[in-house]
Amino acid sequence: MIKAEPKTILSFIHQHFDLLKELFLAQSKNNSIDYEFLNNEIEKYGVEIKTQLFEYHILKNINDEYQITDVYYNLFEFILQQFKPLLPEEIEKYVQSITNLFIKIKEDINKDKNILIERIDSLTSEIDKFLSQIKNNTSSLLVKSRDLKANIDNIDYQEKIHKASFWIDYYIIPLNNIIDIHNSESIYNILLNISEYTNEKRLNFQDENIRLKFERLYNRLKQALIDIRQQSEILVNELIPLIERIKTENSILKGMHHYLSKGLWYKKDSPQKELLQKFRDNVFSNDFELSTKEYFEQFQLEEEVFINDDNHSFEEWVFDKHKYKERMIEALPIQNFFEWTINEIKSENIDLNTNQYFTMVSLLFEKDINIEYQNKYEKIIIEKDNTELKIPVLKITKDEN
Amino acid sequence: MKIEYPKYHYDVVKSLLDGKFILFPGKLYKTISEAENKEFYIDFFQESFGYELIVETEYVYLISENTDEKTSRDIMTFISILSYEIDKEGKNFIEELNSSFFNLERINLYFENSHSWNEIITENKQISSPESRKSLIYNTMLKRNIIEKMGDNFQFTKAHKVFLNFALELIEKESEEESTYPQQSV
Repeated sequence: MIKAEPKTILSFIHQHFDLLKELFLAQSKNNSIDYEFLNNEIEKYGVEIKTQLFEYHILKNINDEYQITDVYYNLFEFILQQFKPLLPEEIEKYVQSITNLFIKIKEDINKDKNILIERIDSLTSEIDKFLSQIKNNTSSLLVKSRDLKANIDNIDYQEKIHKASFWIDYYIIPLNNIIDIHNSESIYNILLNISEYTNEKRLNFQDENIRLKFERLYNRLKQALIDIRQQSEILVNELIPLIERIKTENSILKGMHHYLSKGLWYKKDSPQKELLQKFRDNVFSNDFELSTKEYFEQFQLEEEVFINDDNHSFEEWVFDKHKYKERMIEALPIQNFFEWTINEIKSENIDLNTNQYFTMVSLLFEKDINIEYQNKYEKIIIEKDNTELKIPVLKITKDEN
Repeated sequence: MKIEYPKYHYDVVKSLLDGKFILFPGKLYKTISEAENKEFYIDFFQESFGYELIVETEYVYLISENTDEKTSRDIMTFISILSYEIDKEGKNFIEELNSSFFNLERINLYFENSHSWNEIITENKQISSPESRKSLIYNTMLKRNIIEKMGDNFQFTKAHKVFLNFALELIEKESEEESTYPQQSV
């Protein structure tokens, strides 16, 4: 017995909806809410509402765990549009009850009118419940399959295959069998039979009240057949291909996983069909004769090679500044400094090289000489270094100061 | 006797012997897939070189029995790891490989963050470093028409499906092998 006012309960739900939603999601996942989770959530939201949860019959205690009571669970499921897919066995019970009620109506059609009315109302209600369950199931399976395809939970691909196979084997295919319009045993065809019977009775049953009941049932059935066709189309055209694609994608990934984890990527006897390697062009060339001749000629044309022995016995030229300066002073005036330089070196039986020349030039910086620039140039060739120099003609005289 | 060869015969043979995929739509694909030419080319490659010509609806390629060939294994390893990482990211790897644009930066991120296949990446010199991956993509795969370069990006051509189909074949083979073993009762 709930003592609280209905508006108080609704206001409580409104005020604490976020917390209630967390509890609902926990129960959807684990079928129950454990003691620790409940306390943590209450602490997280900073509200002490445990008493009200039990007082308003929102929660019930089962052993050491809690559960949201059915009526509230269904309410949250509906307003959050997060239906837990029902097992086909749970849906099939409606098929059973619908079939049984129809058989009873037919058998006792001429018996007690009151029970006939009760049965027609019940049948209408069962069809409504059945349709509602089918719609909820199809939509929740679609959401789950799309989530699985997008892998929003970041699950491992093997688990993904497992889940895809699970949904298709235990939920989608059996649900399709129940509502498949092409299957003579399916609910669609059962409802079609009921519809034909009801159509006849709504027109010719003697009792007007019952005729109206049949009329109402007939209208519900017309809508039910349309709804089932729609749901069947969603299953066949959308849900089954979607889940099949998940399975294919995952078969490819499974193959890749197999390839990588079994070491086929390096094994020589990998079962892989080999792509063609780049073809090597080994045919004879048009000009192979010329190429061959050229190849051998390079050996014939080899010239004798002389190897310079680094440990030669020639005496190395050393710039003796004092000696050359004395000679230069003795020779003054010198009309052409370069000519004098080259003759000096040659007089020592040494081939002049560029380095020697520039070393000798340092004599020009001595103090007791004058240098006259003749405004003309001479081109000289130093053969040893294969060097050509353009140098000014310099006249050197004694500095009298 | 003068033999009449199909149009673009030289280009068809050269491309295929260079290990390239010939892609639909294209003049070379058209030449091979024409009803009167298809059988000719299948026989031509088998009789002349001992190679099998595979003509699919979107591409044509040659395969050989050369088990020393490493390129296809490297590409398969590359595509397998890439697919696995795309899937881990929550994206549909089939759609991504089919139509998404890739660049080296994106590829490197996948390979550098691949903890599951780190060992294989390190061991395989063709995919172990950004440079080697660049070479595999822009040399090997580009030359074989497995990718198409578009500025700084690239896209896989339909030829990549060879590797996805191979993965499917592997799993089918494994399932067949499992089903041929008698079930042992415990």
